[in-house]
Amino acid sequence: MKTILLAGTMLASLAGTALARDIVVAQSSDLRSSNPGVNRDGNTDSIILHIVEGLVGYANNGEVKPLLAESVDMAPDGLSYTFKLRGDVKFHNDKPLKAEDVVWNWNRYMDPATKWTCLKDFDGNGAAHVTGIKAVDTSTVTITLEKPSAVFLGLMSRPECGYTGIISPDSVAADSTFDKPIGTGPFQWDEWKKGEYLHLAKFDGYVSPKNDGKPDGVVGSKRPLVDGIKFMVIPDASTVKAGLQSGVLDTAEISPDLIPEFKDSVTTQLIIARNNGKNLFYIQTRDPVLSKPAIRRAMARALDLDQLVAAASNGTGEANGSMISSDSVYYSDAQKKRLPYDLEAAKKELDASGYKGEPISIIANKRGNVPSFPAAVIAQAMLQQIGLNVQIEVLDYATQVDRRRSGNYQIISQSVTPRLDPALMYSFYVGDKNTNASLMWDDPKARDLMKAAYAEIDPKKRQAIFDAFHELMMQEMPGIFLYDMVDVWGATKALKGQPVWQSNARLWEVSVGD
Amino acid sequence: MLRFILNRLFMALPTVLIVSITVFALIRFIPGDPAALMLGDMAQPEQIAEKRSELGLDKSMPEQFLIWGGNVLTGDFGLSIVSGEPVRELVVSHFAVSAQIVSVAVLLASLIAVPAGVIAAWRQNSLTDLALVGTATILLSIPTFWLGLLLLLFFGLKLGWLPVLGYVSIGDNLVGGLLYLVLPVMTLVIHEMGVLIRMARASTLEVLRLDYITHARAKGLSESAVLWKHAFKNAFGPTWTMIGLILGNLLGGIAVIETVFTIPGLGRLMVDSIFQRDYPVIQGCLLFVALSYVLVNLIVDLLYPLFDPRVVAE
Repeated sequence: MKTILLAGTMLASLAGTALARDIVVAQSSDLRSSNPGVNRDGNTDSIILHIVEGLVGYANNGEVKPLLAESVDMAPDGLSYTFKLRGDVKFHNDKPLKAEDVVWNWNRYMDPATKWTCLKDFDGNGAAHVTGIKAVDTSTVTITLEKPSAVFLGLMSRPECGYTGIISPDSVAADSTFDKPIGTGPFQWDEWKKGEYLHLAKFDGYVSPKNDGKPDGVVGSKRPLVDGIKFMVIPDASTVKAGLQSGVLDTAEISPDLIPEFKDSVTTQLIIARNNGKNLFYIQTRDPVLSKPAIRRAMARALDLDQLVAAASNGTGEANGSMISSDSVYYSDAQKKRLPYDLEAAKKELDASGYKGEPISIIANKRGNVPSFPAAVIAQAMLQQIGLNVQIEVLDYATQVDRRRSGNYQIISQSVTPRLDPALMYSFYVGDKNTNASLMWDDPKARDLMKAAYAEIDPKKRQAIFDAFHELMMQEMPGIFLYDMVDVWGATKALKGQPVWQSNARLWEVSVGD
Repeated sequence: MLRFILNRLFMALPTVLIVSITVFALIRFIPGDPAALMLGDMAQPEQIAEKRSELGLDKSMPEQFLIWGGNVLTGDFGLSIVSGEPVRELVVSHFAVSAQIVSVAVLLASLIAVPAGVIAAWRQNSLTDLALVGTATILLSIPTFWLGLLLLLFFGLKLGWLPVLGYVSIGDNLVGGLLYLVLPVMTLVIHEMGVLIRMARASTLEVLRLDYITHARAKGLSESAVLWKHAFKNAFGPTWTMIGLILGNLLGGIAVIETVFTIPGLGRLMVDSIFQRDYPVIQGCLLFVALSYVLVNLIVDLLYPLFDPRVVAE
């Protein structure tokens, strides 16, 4: 009986699962669409990342570097960018990348019929109004802007935009419908069994951009070291664990509860990677109770951030009270400052604010991969020490989003996905609440600083803006930033390399042994 | 017979209509905007409003219902908000996967549990009865997700006999496909056996107390002839109804099993759609489940006279 079952299992493996040298990775949900930047979520971005590349891309430290471009030159007035294309780039259909392909892609993205997620960022309604694009010659493209924008390249490089990936015009069928992405990335589209798995095959003709031999964000060395990648749809965390332990999966995000088990395992390894996302308490500054900065500051002083972070992150995180990630080039000494943990000072400030025990509710969700609930529970205990009447309201994620969007909350224990440029991170929190109720902070000074951060191109001046922003935030405390998000992944011992970057699977320069 | 079938189908119409209206309204009362979820946290209010308009969510609820209901009558269940795929195709393809598992599981559970229940009744108050009833109670008490995980860890991880995760369609590969079905089917069989053993035992006990059984015994018939030829036929009726109910229930409700074993079935589609507030898919799934429930019970009723000649399908 055992022999029959084993033989059957082998047959099943040969028939239905990956080839021997594929990397098999679990994702909690299926690809939404293969059309870059159109219908997406985090898991979709992870897959698209391996297929397409933009003219530029983010490096580890948040800088934007050339990717399909050999060089990027900004005009002194900041109104035009010239992209010199690399000569060694081929699409997956073996056609060479030319300037007219870039122009075709840009025009396609800007066509409302494409339904590009980032259209509003570039069409005059957002931070970088692109007024024209031109192929100067077969390997040079110029893009012109209405006014200078510090975030133009950063916006183009965002996962939400599908990395503004350049695809071959052959990706679109004769009837103008999207067929499949024929990109320039290290892996190419192969097979999609909806609800089950998606398989990408290695692109043999791939050439990495200029690099120092190491992966660096979405730039750097990007060699495909395996025959393919199989993204399996596995929503259940326990099943993922069993898959990793049995070796059916090579790598996957795991529940932080499993950290001790994976750390001590002889068959699996634990991979911890910090990213630019933020975990924070998002405060409604228009709430009758929380509209007083003194109460918000008292709350910040009452939180022993180091203890809270250690507990909520299972020892993987490091307290960071800034909106800027610790790995950013803009994470200066000024950003490291935070209100010190001081219960006496917190009590004094709370008494002075006139707080009379009104209830304060923290909204949290119980999604396994974010610390929303544990952070809320620990904070509740810490805040009660100074006499704050804190309750926790547990909601499902969709309802939480709805409450934030409508402004109907007091505090939300929230995680915000990575944005590598600090100005883009600010835009999640800062702005006019009258036009966008989901925003956290509508202080006029903060809004001015954010506008300046969007427009200022000089890095030194940007640093000064970000530091001033942080100082203002410590005075106003519109939200309490806890720590940078941490990706907790598991892998078999056979896996070599770093399979995750900024919460996305990143499987180039990753191999699996025999 | 035809009249009976038509009557039953006609009587199902109000059920389906009530289910449609209830599902349509309830899912919209749950907070959570599909457009906001789709566009992600960077979307501006005007982008969300645009998306809502594109999806028709800016119309009044009765208007939305009339559009959807009208389309359903023509066989068009709409498109998934999340993937853009036709809901009808999504539901049918996922239902086929669930139906494979459920039908095999219910068949196997019936083949094992019904004789076991009859034997327990026959040996009432004996050690065999105690063991069977005890086992049934334990099986009933075990949550399916826990049982599934235990089986997965034991047969998949520890012994390595069966695939731990993934799914291969039987149409693509018969042997491989069957192997992937063993654990989910086993989980369902074990769980459903509990109900069926108890049901079969109770209805057999009831029949065994009747006069005609005493008469059969008095005629000198063997115990096995009394049990299987005379008692079983009459006792099977209620169990058969229960099998129909279980089948109907499971066809739309094995989301937990499908999640644990990574099976792309109807239950998982429905749960995923609820989290994503994919209204057309949720509506399509639940309408389909309601219809299949009605059909399964109709088939059960039509087959009832085979086991109990006193019942006539009229």
